[in-house]
Amino acid sequence: MTSALAVSQLFKTYQGLFGPAQAALRGLTLSVPKGSAFGLIGPNGAGKTTFIKVLLGVVRPTSGEVTVLGGDPQDTAVRARIGYLPERMHLPAALRGRDFLRSVATLKRLTPTDAQLVGLLERVGLRTGEQRVGTFSKGMRQRLGLAAAMLGEPELLILDEPTDGIDPVGRVEVRTLLLEEKKRGATILLNSHLLAETERICDRIGVLDHGQLKLEGTLDDVRKAASSWVVRFQGEVAADVAGFVRTDAGWTFEGDVEGLNDALDAARQAGLRVVAVTPQTRDLEAVLTESLRTGS
Amino acid sequence: MRQLLRVALDLLLEAARRKWFLALFGAITFVLLLLGFSLQLDVIDGAIAGSKLFGSLLFDDIVSANQVMAGLYKVTAYVSFYGGAFFLAIACSDFAPELLAPGRIEHLLSLPVSRWQLLFGTYVGVVTLAALGVLYGAGGLTVLLGLKTGVWNFKLLLGSGVGWVGFCALYAVMLTANFFVRSAALSGALGVVTLILGVVASFRESIAVAMEAGPGRELFGWAMLPIPRLGTLATVSAHLAASEPLDGEMVGRLLVGCLIFSAALLSVAAWRFERKDF
Repeated sequence: MTSALAVSQLFKTYQGLFGPAQAALRGLTLSVPKGSAFGLIGPNGAGKTTFIKVLLGVVRPTSGEVTVLGGDPQDTAVRARIGYLPERMHLPAALRGRDFLRSVATLKRLTPTDAQLVGLLERVGLRTGEQRVGTFSKGMRQRLGLAAAMLGEPELLILDEPTDGIDPVGRVEVRTLLLEEKKRGATILLNSHLLAETERICDRIGVLDHGQLKLEGTLDDVRKAASSWVVRFQGEVAADVAGFVRTDAGWTFEGDVEGLNDALDAARQAGLRVVAVTPQTRDLEAVLTESLRTGS
Repeated sequence: MRQLLRVALDLLLEAARRKWFLALFGAITFVLLLLGFSLQLDVIDGAIAGSKLFGSLLFDDIVSANQVMAGLYKVTAYVSFYGGAFFLAIACSDFAPELLAPGRIEHLLSLPVSRWQLLFGTYVGVVTLAALGVLYGAGGLTVLLGLKTGVWNFKLLLGSGVGWVGFCALYAVMLTANFFVRSAALSGALGVVTLILGVVASFRESIAVAMEAGPGRELFGWAMLPIPRLGTLATVSAHLAASEPLDGEMVGRLLVGCLIFSAALLSVAAWRFERKDF
């Protein structure tokens, strides 16, 4: 599968003028397939925003290779195919919503009609294209930023906390929008602290901590990457089964795959018949917590 | 080019909503209207037989209209040079910090626009804003006196244009500073300091003579050498406006000096901008 973005051995160290140098990215290697929705999660200071800025050419890496949409992000032709929403978007207060979109369109070398701009504003839930940005609420600003990112149907959407400041109903609308964008074929890179939101939108997840990728894979894989299985035996099991613990979910095995097979063999030898083995899935919060704790 | 002009246009749209510039526009309009309604000139064949302001007689000797206009233009050129430069240094001080504000600069840099386009777009926007102020103020006064006297003298516009070149140098300092330290206060302060240094630089030879010979005087001479001679430029602007004779070569040197100074600083800003992480 072709990559929408790929980084290899990416290092970024910020040189302090007086203080010590700070390493934000330490040998990050990652590839995001085209058309996927990649959720980047991790604690504050993990290097997520620096990584995003490197992808946009806003920050230059100290070393390593960066390829975005098959090219160098410093190339304006590559950036023309990217839509970006920063974490705390600072909008020019004097402009009207529609003027702002027109300005971004010109800078993106696009020439949309007024109807197209109004349509886009309506799509993100803004019906106040004539209102000045300075009077916008935080949620409205975020929606306008999202409209700017979606302008020109970019191949890659990089969104840093897109629902920050948006009310719960608005979040559902934004999620629907992003899923529509994904359906259109756009690749989405989502950085959000709202893990439930990431889980609903993304099909791939990467856990970043201290500038390193701790875990990466499809959403199903990372949730299953568990060391826990629930086993269902035929009939009632009266006594304890060696290696298994009775939990609310059923007979649960904690350990690696080898250990699971050994325990299943032992159960069979004890006369039990296995009906089902289900890997226990975890939500992203558990994935994040565990990968930060264990480092993988 | 379209993108550079868009950055400049956005800056002008932003300026149009700011109280500072609305106040400037209002003040110029007020002065023009006041003169328009209050200044009475009795003009006979290009000469002013009498003049009244607010009903009071200013003079009743017969003088040529050009002579009266020259005096007025000279004062206007001085006032607009120093007043305009000071006002604009303060009022324009936060355009560059706004451009470089977190949350805005990342977004702009993520767009298919070069850093130099953002830099020069901002510069072009601000100097255009200053030019519009000059055109409105000096142009308005020229038209007003032209209508009142029937004598059309465009020297004030020319003189103010020379003054505008001085502001271009001033803003180059202010803009460049922000690529090292993003601060509206520093930017405004540097604009005012450069204006003062520009006056000092205009008298560097006479000041140096008053200093004791030695490394201090040498250092002063070298330090003042790259500073545009804004005081001299103000005088040139006023003399031009008053249609007084000037040494063309000296004017040319002054203007070229300002342009080289601006270009050098903008090159430093571009160099810094290209290497800066945001």
